[in-house]
Amino acid sequence: MNSIALNVNRRAVEVLAEPRTSLADFVRDKLDLTGTHLGCEHGVCGACTVLLDGVPARSCITYAVACEGADITTIEGLDEDEVTVELRAAFTREHALQCGYCTPGMLVSARDLVLRLPDADERRIRVGLSGNLCRCTGYVGIVRAVQSVIETRRARNIAPQPGGGRTILGPAGSGWAAPGGNEQPLRPVRQEFAAASDGIAPAVIPDFTPATVLEQRFTLPYAPAKVFAMFDDIAGIAACLPGVSLTAPPSRERVEGAIRVRLGPIAAVFEGAARVERDPAKLSGRIVGIGTDRRSRSATQGEIRYRLLPIDDGTATAVELSIGYALTGMLAQVGRPGLVRDLARRLVADFADNLDRHMSGASPGQLAPAELSGWSIVSDILRARVARFFGRRGEPG
Amino acid sequence: MKPAPFFYERPRDLNAALAMLAANGSAKIIAGGQSLGPMLNLRLVQPELVVDISGLADLKRAEICGDELVLGALVTHADIEDGRTPDVTCGAMRGVAANIAYRAVRNRGTIGGSLSHADPAADWVSALAALGARLTLRSLAGARTLAIEAFVVGALESALQAGEIVEAIHVPARAGSAHWGYAKSCRKTGEFAHAIGAVLVDPAAATARIVIGAIDTPPIVVTDAGELFGGRVAADYKQRFDARVADILLVKAGIGDAVQRHIHVSVLKRAVHEAAA
Amino acid sequence: MRSERKFPSGGSGQGVGARLPRKEDDRLMRGRGQFVADIRVVGLQDVAFVRSPLAHARIRGIDVPERYRGNVFTAADISGVSPIRAISALPGFKISEQPMLASGKVRQVGELVAMCVAPTRAEAEDIAASVTLDLEELPAVYDMLKARDPGSALVHEHWGDNVFLETNYEVDISAALDAPIKVTREISTARQCMSPLEGRGVVASFDGRLDQLTLHSAAQMPHITRSGLAECLGMEEGRIRVISPDVGGGFGHKGILLPEEVCLSWLTMRCGHPVRWIEDRREHLVASSNCREHHYRITVYADRDGTLRGIDCEATVDSGAYSSYPFSACLEAAQVASILPGPYRMPAYRCRTFSVATNKCPILPYRGVARTGVCFALELMLDLVAAETGLEPGEVRLRNLVRPEQMPFDNITRKHFDSGDYPQAMRRALAAVDVAAVRAKQSQGEADGRRIGVGVSIYCEQAAHGTSVYAGWGIPMVPGHEQASARLTPDGGLELRVGVHSHGQGMETTLAQVAHEMLGIDVAKVRIILGDTAMTPYSTGTWGSRSMVMAGGAVAAACRELGERARRIGAKLLQHDPASVVLQNGEVRGVNGSVSLQAIAHTWYRRPQDLPADVDPGGLEVTQGYKPVRDSGTFSYAAHAAVVAVDPDVGEIEILDYVIVEDGGVLVNPMVVDGQIYGGLAQGIGTALYEEMPFDTSGQPLATTLADYLLPGATEVPTARLDHMETPSPYTQFGVKGIGEGGAIAPPAAIANAVNDALRPLGVEMMQSPITPRRVVEAVLAARAAERNAA
Repeated sequence: MNSIALNVNRRAVEVLAEPRTSLADFVRDKLDLTGTHLGCEHGVCGACTVLLDGVPARSCITYAVACEGADITTIEGLDEDEVTVELRAAFTREHALQCGYCTPGMLVSARDLVLRLPDADERRIRVGLSGNLCRCTGYVGIVRAVQSVIETRRARNIAPQPGGGRTILGPAGSGWAAPGGNEQPLRPVRQEFAAASDGIAPAVIPDFTPATVLEQRFTLPYAPAKVFAMFDDIAGIAACLPGVSLTAPPSRERVEGAIRVRLGPIAAVFEGAARVERDPAKLSGRIVGIGTDRRSRSATQGEIRYRLLPIDDGTATAVELSIGYALTGMLAQVGRPGLVRDLARRLVADFADNLDRHMSGASPGQLAPAELSGWSIVSDILRARVARFFGRRGEPG
Repeated sequence: MKPAPFFYERPRDLNAALAMLAANGSAKIIAGGQSLGPMLNLRLVQPELVVDISGLADLKRAEICGDELVLGALVTHADIEDGRTPDVTCGAMRGVAANIAYRAVRNRGTIGGSLSHADPAADWVSALAALGARLTLRSLAGARTLAIEAFVVGALESALQAGEIVEAIHVPARAGSAHWGYAKSCRKTGEFAHAIGAVLVDPAAATARIVIGAIDTPPIVVTDAGELFGGRVAADYKQRFDARVADILLVKAGIGDAVQRHIHVSVLKRAVHEAAA
Repeated sequence: MRSERKFPSGGSGQGVGARLPRKEDDRLMRGRGQFVADIRVVGLQDVAFVRSPLAHARIRGIDVPERYRGNVFTAADISGVSPIRAISALPGFKISEQPMLASGKVRQVGELVAMCVAPTRAEAEDIAASVTLDLEELPAVYDMLKARDPGSALVHEHWGDNVFLETNYEVDISAALDAPIKVTREISTARQCMSPLEGRGVVASFDGRLDQLTLHSAAQMPHITRSGLAECLGMEEGRIRVISPDVGGGFGHKGILLPEEVCLSWLTMRCGHPVRWIEDRREHLVASSNCREHHYRITVYADRDGTLRGIDCEATVDSGAYSSYPFSACLEAAQVASILPGPYRMPAYRCRTFSVATNKCPILPYRGVARTGVCFALELMLDLVAAETGLEPGEVRLRNLVRPEQMPFDNITRKHFDSGDYPQAMRRALAAVDVAAVRAKQSQGEADGRRIGVGVSIYCEQAAHGTSVYAGWGIPMVPGHEQASARLTPDGGLELRVGVHSHGQGMETTLAQVAHEMLGIDVAKVRIILGDTAMTPYSTGTWGSRSMVMAGGAVAAACRELGERARRIGAKLLQHDPASVVLQNGEVRGVNGSVSLQAIAHTWYRRPQDLPADVDPGGLEVTQGYKPVRDSGTFSYAAHAAVVAVDPDVGEIEILDYVIVEDGGVLVNPMVVDGQIYGGLAQGIGTALYEEMPFDTSGQPLATTLADYLLPGATEVPTARLDHMETPSPYTQFGVKGIGEGGAIAPPAAIANAVNDALRPLGVEMMQSPITPRRVVEAVLAARAAERNAA
């Protein structure tokens, strides 16, 4: 817990709160100012908008501790505010609210527009309100209300305030606090997850249909039989996968381990096991695995299929790799699958590159990075060699 | 939807912040929190320690040094939008800033934070690459300078090394003869761009910097852009813009989807037309 | 235009027809509303749920860390609670059982597996994160069409297939088969989340003195919630009180009994302290109810002059994993069959429908229910008939719409249209957007490379349909008489108690206007009490655009009776023959003078010695019930017309003009009705262009934030131009009609038709909502490629 001192609605308050407490939860739960509403808690809907040092800010993604010493004005603090009084009259006249849930945040943003905009241009007002979602009114009454208040104020020769009166640089609400941090550095409760070897590795590894399949083809200057033998070295193959660590000695048919991946600030460790299949007659094989990241309650299934084709009269080998995966749980539900695909793409590129080097005789220790952060160094080299590469959905790899 | 618990520190200066970062591998820097905050709330990110640099006055500088503008990492989008910072881009940065997300986000969201997040769909990544900006990155070991196009290396993946933060952004003065065009396609106002085109064309100097952004991988930055305009950059560049060359650039960047490429090329074309307007 | 007011309040500006500002606004604008998350109860603890990360899986184990054993509850801890069973009596309906907490199997991402209690939500989420689920993933049923394939995985194994219900309706389709024009298409609408700005939420506590469970819940139908809870918990209804405070938007999302409501009720009784769960946005998007996912295989038969000969349709609705209480999993699909023909005349019709179970959230009736999908399908098809016949799309409508002289009209599915002039609405809309001017502009082309197009659509909105309609569905809820209680207070104020609820519709104002109309009492002195089972008459609540028709009628009935009693007391006080006095403007008037309602109330309560000996002992508190003369529903309707500009290379669509010509019968408060239409339009634009909850092949929902699930903002919604018509319903009090949903019904069709009109010269046809930039460009490129191949 931290002791947080700030000014809310012109009143100095000092309250204990965890660092993770958002400014919205702080005013609602600690100060009982429940006029600030939470609609999405990720900064999109605008219901939680409050004034921070006089300008609108999202209280759901601003932490109270970061506002130490700042001035906060919630809807309750705007009861007597001149602009807000005018806006309330206009809102009720123009039927600018129905359920009223978005209204406090909407009024805070509308007040800022009334102060800043030079005139009641409908397009600018709409753009200015675009960060506040209303699900009831279709915005018609809101836009009309804001227009009418701007018009009457400009007609009364009240000049606009560019910047809403802000004159200093940096994030609104920042810069008032003395340095410091946890005054009582309690250790946060963290989840300590058991290692994969504690028996969570699945006994049966099911088949699955990859949601995304990435394909690569490259050539190696070795005979197919030699390359095929290398694919038999499961520990060596695993070492080529960036972020993979083995948690038990692999057998010919099965391997247990974990793969650590990182997408920007998002990190996950998928722990699990893989099944190894090979078909010497066709010089092909398949490794299919399943793993779980318990922190995000996400799971992934993946498979590597390979097929070796002799080229140059059997002195060299074309390796056809097909890597497919499916993701479930929170990480699968990150709405921008393009980012995950880019990650997978880079992962595959690194794998192929490492494999190439491994087969060329480099030792695994030299090439498997502990995490994926090093991928970019090699990916450019590799991209030039990618014969074909595409993602497709809903088809078996 | 509440974050996992974290420790919080407010360093007294930049060196103290860097020391905290160096001492704790999982620490995350927070400035305005407009990118990190949602990820914390969604528990997609669970750092042990959050280091709040938003109070560091050293990072709130905005001044013209020689023929470039130096912006501290903590300058907000609204600071630029409102003209509280000097401008060397003839309004280009102001225009970009004004269309980032929403006003309440711009009041806290910082230029350094946005760049550090390295989201390919974010505006500064593409716009500053077209303007030829550079970054100063600082760690306890010292500072280094990097061009923006070298800074973003993947989706949400920057060149920042452990213990390093973005300290300042250096924006070169835009030549009086240079034309600026910036277009983005969003499904709705303020949302992630699905395509960005940013162009800085100087027909007088026969140079152009062309950026195709928001492509799920680092933006495509073309510094020697003659090829896009039939071999040379001249006054008639709008007419000479060659969409096929842009399409090939996208293919080379691994964009296999023809629909996506078509949209990107069309948005780039818009930016070129805007520059020529 | 609207006729002159014919109600006695006429000049007061407060009665039926007045654009009265709303009584509820002030508290909401000052942050003094009280939503469920704002309720403060001593000893309250927060709940976070452990939810299934998988769409379909067998639960092998749930591991709770030792130190949290007292904070976590799973299905194994619960006994004596029944699953939610929302049954339809339609023949062949298969029953699903939605457990309070999953045991054995999970059937959707987000299904409840365990509940975690802690002093704060953040700590409860910490505990939830510490619980480990051991799940055996099963193949997910993620596609409602594939779900009917033999060999598909089964959501409910013992059913043998994935079909909740199949229905068949036919009127002599063979008569249409020789029609010269036959157009067949597949059309679909995306799965959506209703997304009120406030999600669901529950605060549960137990009052030992009253021996009563109190459930505060963001709910549209508190009495139905109570009945459902009583069934699940095995409690007497009297031991449960459901209070729905200020509600931040409903749209259907708050019209079901949630397993979370059952959980929290059980939990507060188990733990002995109040508990709270507030749905967050991710829960809303991932785990809560969905709506709108329809698929149509449809053929329209017509003559060369555009006359409709018949429609043949197979419709499929993705109902999700469970049948939700009380509307059931089949209401939506089965409704398709009965409403598809809409206001059009045709001699032949066949429709087969499937309500299909999948591993997704349950489907719920969202604003407009099946009408939005039906309107989309039929109106897109009519534009294709227009293209085939070379007629203007508007002309095809005018040829086939029911004509005013045919009213009342029973259409081919025996829907009883009470009144209206549909062709006039269409003609006005066509004139307002000036189709001829758009055509002239189109022939010149746009300088910026965009293409413009105009589109129309028309629909009817059956509202406030009652017993005769719902008895046939056989679902747990059949609306009967709607009741209202009216009480004059000793100081002359009026308290009205109704069982419907208000979540933006302004019932606190509009019902006061109805009371004013009946009693002449100043609306400032009228208090409307809603949303509390302990204080209001039983009601099925607010859904189906029914509240103004039903509760408005009930308030009028109660006020009429109350006024009558007051009039008789007033006559005595004036020493008049009761037959010679009238109630007017809040007073009882006779030839010699008048006495105010306030004075009458004062007499009843404070000076009973002055009352006549034969006074009605019921006094000044009245409960009356109401049903329209005919309960087959009111039929409001509107014609929508859109003009759009489409950028074929980027796929962006701009709405340049939007016109709505609506007829909602007599409007109690036209300002509020306009608000409903504008708001419905915004949601319709969301359906048309933005909103979609996609799933992958393992049944994972892929839009988990509002950055992925796009709700229209102020720049995405134009200011539509509204034009009103007024055809009173012959069956209802004042001639009002329900109108709350209509705004959301027609926009997807009108906008899609406009987009198709713009892109038709390119050979592009968009038959799927939402029409995203990507889909537009994809279709444009495909059409260009096809043209190249043909050349």
